[in-house]
Amino acid sequence: MADENIALMAHLLRRSGFGASRDEIEAKAALGYQQTLDDLLAPESQENIEEDLLFRYNPSYWQSAAIENNVQAWLYTMINTPRQLQEKMALFWHMIFCAGHSKIDSGYEMGVMISMFREHGMGNFRDLIYRLSTSPGMMYYLDNTESHQTALNENYGRELLELFSLGAGKDEELNYSEDDVKACARAFTGWNNAPAYPPFPYGRSPWEFRFDPADHDGGEKTFLGETGAWNGDDILDIICKQPATARFLARHLYNYFVADDVQIPAWRLTPPQDLDLIQAMEKTYFDSGYDITEMLRVLFNSEKFKSESVRFAKVKSPAEVVAGTLRMVEEHREIKLGLFQHSQEPKYMGMDLMNPPTVEGWHTGREWIDSGTLVERINYASELLGNTELPGVKGLINRLMSRGDSLSPETFVDGCLDLIGPITVDDGTRSELVAHAQKSGDLRHSSSSEQSDFTRRTGEMFQMIASTAEFQFE
Amino acid sequence: MSTHFFGLKERSFAYSHSLGRNEFSGTGFRNPVDIAVGGNDVVYVVNRGYEYRTDGVHISVVTMNEEYITEFGSYGAGPGQFVWPTSIALDSQGNVYLADEWLNRISVFNSDGEFTRSWPDGFEGGASNDDAGRMIAYGSGPDIPAGKSGSGDGELDRPAGITISKDGTMFVTDSRNHRIQKFTLDGKFLGKFGTFGSGPGQLNMPWGIALDKDGNVFVADWRNDRIQQFTADGEWVASFGQSGDGVGQFNRPNGVCVDDDGDIYVADWLNNRVQVLAPDGRFVTALKGDHVLSQWGKDKLNSNPDMIRQRALAYSHDPSYEKNFNHPCAVKIDGQGRLAVLDHFGGRIQVYAKSKDPVLV
Repeated sequence: MADENIALMAHLLRRSGFGASRDEIEAKAALGYQQTLDDLLAPESQENIEEDLLFRYNPSYWQSAAIENNVQAWLYTMINTPRQLQEKMALFWHMIFCAGHSKIDSGYEMGVMISMFREHGMGNFRDLIYRLSTSPGMMYYLDNTESHQTALNENYGRELLELFSLGAGKDEELNYSEDDVKACARAFTGWNNAPAYPPFPYGRSPWEFRFDPADHDGGEKTFLGETGAWNGDDILDIICKQPATARFLARHLYNYFVADDVQIPAWRLTPPQDLDLIQAMEKTYFDSGYDITEMLRVLFNSEKFKSESVRFAKVKSPAEVVAGTLRMVEEHREIKLGLFQHSQEPKYMGMDLMNPPTVEGWHTGREWIDSGTLVERINYASELLGNTELPGVKGLINRLMSRGDSLSPETFVDGCLDLIGPITVDDGTRSELVAHAQKSGDLRHSSSSEQSDFTRRTGEMFQMIASTAEFQFE
Repeated sequence: MSTHFFGLKERSFAYSHSLGRNEFSGTGFRNPVDIAVGGNDVVYVVNRGYEYRTDGVHISVVTMNEEYITEFGSYGAGPGQFVWPTSIALDSQGNVYLADEWLNRISVFNSDGEFTRSWPDGFEGGASNDDAGRMIAYGSGPDIPAGKSGSGDGELDRPAGITISKDGTMFVTDSRNHRIQKFTLDGKFLGKFGTFGSGPGQLNMPWGIALDKDGNVFVADWRNDRIQQFTADGEWVASFGQSGDGVGQFNRPNGVCVDDDGDIYVADWLNNRVQVLAPDGRFVTALKGDHVLSQWGKDKLNSNPDMIRQRALAYSHDPSYEKNFNHPCAVKIDGQGRLAVLDHFGGRIQVYAKSKDPVLV
């Protein structure tokens, strides 16, 4: 039976970040749940990534137009930032406020957008959505640069309401009308970008948002029942005070951190799984003046989040598979060659980071897994967990050896499951793992040949565990 | 009417011209990290490329007048290959020395770019032997193991900067050992100085290194945000600067050089400027970049009418962007006393001429 403190801490670190090595889990468990959570919720109190070193060894990361360099730098940050929740929230917003390289065609602008999510994604929602609405990448991606007083393009206005704030509906009611979409789009006319230098001869310049008052429709508009000569700022104020926005955020946070929900288009007709927790977060949203960190505090302190019922019940996203496995095995914890290959893995598993399939984003939960992506996920994790030269794997093996001079196959399997999770597999799976271990008998490590055999068998068992259905969950 | 000078008036710096453009090969540079200027205005440019576009990793050979000569070297761990090239220097014979901070080795080429040797001796970097005992030179991919590193005499741990004295002594900033090592040009260890720290003479990940005409050593003490001066024997002489973006302050200075007047030039990397210091360390001026289209830049634009239009709009909006340095990473003095500033993001070199006479800028 796994230590409950360790199990709970491992759960918190998997969900609030990208997992951790066993050493880190135990250190945080010693610190306590509350202190660890307080640290996670105050990222500025934690050390930041050493950007000077990152650019020192990878000068190509600086303002790079190539999307590959930006994804690579992002994966490095996921793996190494002590500000794990901040980074998890950057991914959260990227999966909601979707813009993609396929249209933007500037890796740097995607990197800028992710940086904005990183720096402001745990702050005030009104501030965040203003930054989104003045993000030159988003203005271009959703055609607001093509929306003019005399020729309206409704794309940003529509997605702002449907996918970025209110959602289509709540409690079976529709949250807005087509007239609201048009009013919203009119209010955002003139929210445009300044000209930018081309990629050649000397590299693109960073894009700049620019408001053009001459292109703004300053006429009277009625939006969600309120009438005035609204500009985009006014629209954001009206959006933020809607109960639907509080529901939208609470449900997204629940879906991302607690348990997989139905896909978003079904939210209007499908009530939340845990209405009490959703409503507690909604209340906090208003009580705190739209503070995202305070909503997260409610979520992570809830009994629902801490309960065993939600552990290993949520399908890992490909980014979580890759960053989480690398953190567990302690690979690429320093700047070195070879990160590019890892940074491409989420794409092979169905999550092309910085390039979501549409503005609707990725379908999550069990839709992450199909016959092709499952093979990628298993192969990736089992290759790393079976590499007994990696520091994290070595550490796990040493811990296992310290549990006794001789381990029975049952103790060995339970020990491996504990150290990799702690993860609980169903009885049938455990029996099969034990049966495999029994083929070679008890494990000892008093001689060098026994140590070598112990190491080999443990790496092999880790690979088998990485192949279980349970390992696909977090 | 009086003329009010604030600061030193004995010299002025006038932008001359630029060379280069962003390109993976041929008439341009990709993530260049260092340059060396030899006789006949020949310039060697070290291109670091991208991890996933290793075809960009090579040395370009051009002239200060933007004539393309050739390129040599490639990505890999075999003889004459490199992975993370970081610094380049020339000896009096025109041989080319290249530091590689992934393989932890110095490779040597003749002036035609033909590989002649590498050291530390006997170390083959990330190459390995196949079953038949033949050396495998990895050509690409992530599988090149880091070269053996060490902290003993003559061992290297991420060599970052190299320079060669008139008498043929090589000085290497051994960055993760926080020291300077001296070698013969065949790699024989001659001496070392510096330890980790922030006190006088101590170093924190030193990067660029240069000698003045008297053989004094100037080191870009990168993570201490200062320049330090030593004698050729390693005795500390002076430290210039501190962290910050004000006058005489630095944010991760990575390149340094000294002209025949003793003026010190510093690539103030994250402040996007080159600072000029007088021989006593007093601030003289800061250059922020004055780029005007290079010929290769014009050639590129002339083949892309849409880019001409796009650039014209952007230039009207903000002409300073293209002029300014964007992560300047190396400064060198050429045979005519001109200052060459390498700008890694822009893939270009901006050239300045120094004059003691009044110059219209």
